[in-house]
Amino acid sequence: MFAQFFGNYLLNKQLVTPEQLITGIQAKNETRLKLGVLAISAGYMSAAQVEEIHERQMLEDKRIGDIAVELGYLTKEQLEELLDTQKVGYLLLGQALVDKGYLTNGQFEAAISDYKHQYQIDETESESFDDEKAEELIRSMCDFSSEDAMMYTKYLVLVMKNLIRFIGDDFTPLKPTRMYPLEIYKDVYQKINGSFTTDTNIVFESADSMLAFANRFSGEGLGATDGEYIDAAVCDFLNINNGLYTVNVSNEINMELRLTPPEVFDDIHDTKGSVMTFPVAYTFGTIYITLSE
Amino acid sequence: MVLSNVTVLICDDSILSRKKMKDFLKVCGVKEIFEAVDGQAAVDEYKDKKPTVVFMDIVMPKKDGIQAVKEIVEFDPEAKIVMASSVGTQSLLKDALKAGAKDFLQKPINDDSILQVLGRIL
Repeated sequence: MFAQFFGNYLLNKQLVTPEQLITGIQAKNETRLKLGVLAISAGYMSAAQVEEIHERQMLEDKRIGDIAVELGYLTKEQLEELLDTQKVGYLLLGQALVDKGYLTNGQFEAAISDYKHQYQIDETESESFDDEKAEELIRSMCDFSSEDAMMYTKYLVLVMKNLIRFIGDDFTPLKPTRMYPLEIYKDVYQKINGSFTTDTNIVFESADSMLAFANRFSGEGLGATDGEYIDAAVCDFLNINNGLYTVNVSNEINMELRLTPPEVFDDIHDTKGSVMTFPVAYTFGTIYITLSE
Repeated sequence: MVLSNVTVLICDDSILSRKKMKDFLKVCGVKEIFEAVDGQAAVDEYKDKKPTVVFMDIVMPKKDGIQAVKEIVEFDPEAKIVMASSVGTQSLLKDALKAGAKDFLQKPINDDSILQVLGRIL
């Protein structure tokens, strides 16, 4: 989940535009992690050293890792370790943005170190990113005013996990707002009832983004004319997410919540109270998770 | 497990959830599959078709799955009903078992778990 939050950080710092970020996310899966980026992220080499090696590589037919060891920038052990590093989402994203020329190695170095420092994320944690860290990041993005801030935060963390699990990890959460999205194609709605009550919605701006979402969830290869199945797929996603939420809440704080059957509306199913909209930019379009407060 | 004599009633308000389960059960060779889109339709359909096994969602319009289980069991105390829901809280499971359900599947449902539950219940 770290990669998703890291994308959000890059946007907030205006290091990349939303369009560049989406292009980067799209390219992420085809990106091969370069040793230089890994070395910078691990703190073994500076951006300047990586540049120097790149220049030398143009003159000598040697691999980057070998040159780094030759120059004494890396030990053999460090090189082994870097080569062993598996594909890590946020590094792939950083690499893709550097490859596209949106970020320099230096900007990436500064951003990753600032980001890790700000949220006290160390190298091991970024790979096994835990719920607590995710909750902290969500809280830093939202300004839930009510006493139920913890309930909303847990909800949004679960949504992000389920989006990654069922829809895909090619997204970045955008800055939450207090307004409904301007363009509305459909609103998929379900109420959570009990000692904690909230209206949950997934709002789509276009038929295309809803179809893409439904296809990723269902794996059914639905077409534009399969309206009933498209609606059902999004309802099922929301229902599964909210069902898991009630289970978690019941287990963790012994609170029993109930759900209404999910419904689909052609416009916002307006509810009382204020609204928190949590936009999620996927490569196929932006979806909006909204909660009533 | 021979399923060629087994009839199944799938009660779920989601057309997609019904389709996925139906597709899998067909491959497994069950004799016949019936569907219901809400709790009331589930009760009516059960009385009409007397299926071997029922898969019952909990959160449904008109009548929820637990109330439907109560009414089906009242009609047929031997009914073999499996709850299939995203809401698997202990208290709801307790309610469902008390109402007469025999087993539970947590959504999202994978095909293996359908076979396992059929193995337990038949």
